[in-house]
Amino acid sequence: MLPEFNKNNTMMRKFLIISAVIFGLLGIVFTILPLGTIAFLPIGITFILSGIAIQKSKNSQRSLPKIILFISVLTFLVVIGKAIFTKDIVVTDTQFELKKEESKKEDIKELEGL
Amino acid sequence: MKKTTLLLCFLFAFGTGFSQIKSNERLIYVASYNMSGMMTQLAQVTMSTEIIKTTKKSYLHLSWEASTFSKWDKFFKIRDVYESYVDPVTLRPSLYKRSIFEGGYSKTEKYIFGVNGKSINSSSKKKNTPETKKIFAIGSSTRDIISMIYKLRTVDFSKFKPGQSASFIIVFDEKEYPVNIKYLGMETVSSGNLGKKQCLKLSITAKTNKLKGRDKNLIWITNDTNKVPVLIRFSIPVGTGQLSLTNATGI
Repeated sequence: MLPEFNKNNTMMRKFLIISAVIFGLLGIVFTILPLGTIAFLPIGITFILSGIAIQKSKNSQRSLPKIILFISVLTFLVVIGKAIFTKDIVVTDTQFELKKEESKKEDIKELEGL
Repeated sequence: MKKTTLLLCFLFAFGTGFSQIKSNERLIYVASYNMSGMMTQLAQVTMSTEIIKTTKKSYLHLSWEASTFSKWDKFFKIRDVYESYVDPVTLRPSLYKRSIFEGGYSKTEKYIFGVNGKSINSSSKKKNTPETKKIFAIGSSTRDIISMIYKLRTVDFSKFKPGQSASFIIVFDEKEYPVNIKYLGMETVSSGNLGKKQCLKLSITAKTNKLKGRDKNLIWITNDTNKVPVLIRFSIPVGTGQLSLTNATGI
């Protein structure tokens, strides 16, 4: 019974770590992209999976899930920081403004002909 | 995004009445899109008006601009401009222009309305394709989408009862679309710098596959003489989103 239990536990641990890595990577990508607080979704899942993986691991095997957990906390803080300090602004697009001005001149010529 | 743009225009399209639209009016909105259940702010939408004078006549220039926030520009840049030159009193359009740039896709379109209002001389150009020109007939009440946006605000809703609706026709992508507007009742809505306002809640449906659901495409306009659109919610095959008024000046 005991070897079977250990085998299942190892399998579960591997599954949790692989899933945590996948969601962790997704969390990093979402953090880099301007997706705002949506990044909390994969980050939260990573946090939970890596936490369970730590519980399922022996003391000597806890370094990898701990690193993943640390990354999830770090990305969480980055997302919070971006949400607080990054403002939604539209930068002045000189090319776009010039195009609009030219278009307006053309429109007035067009209207003169009507 | 193209579908979204069309929808946003539909959401405004409506009605008949007399002009109350002032020159130098500027309405700024934040456009958000629902991603994984969370509303993400994508772009700023600006609606503005201006009087343009030619040697023969004055026109009211109605403009609708959408620009993505700078953080999105690297991933999916949007620079859309929809314009209409209309009679300042009747809001009948003389010239309509559309210039869209959405994540690398671009298209320009120009409609010159016939003097009788029953035909359009159009020219259209998509990215990497030659310009196409054509003349096509329209109904006498058909308008371009932008002039319809402003017509909505001239309608006297005081006589409308909840559930009452009206049908209208707009021209978009060189095709005419019937649009149905249903008055649903009154609601108080947060309206940017205008504070909380009592608004008229309207549901928009159009005979197109671009809109999804029943009473899921909604617009709230202030229940006063200005009739400012303050909140727009839309549901399209690829998702849902909204436009919220953040700043209104010159009203």
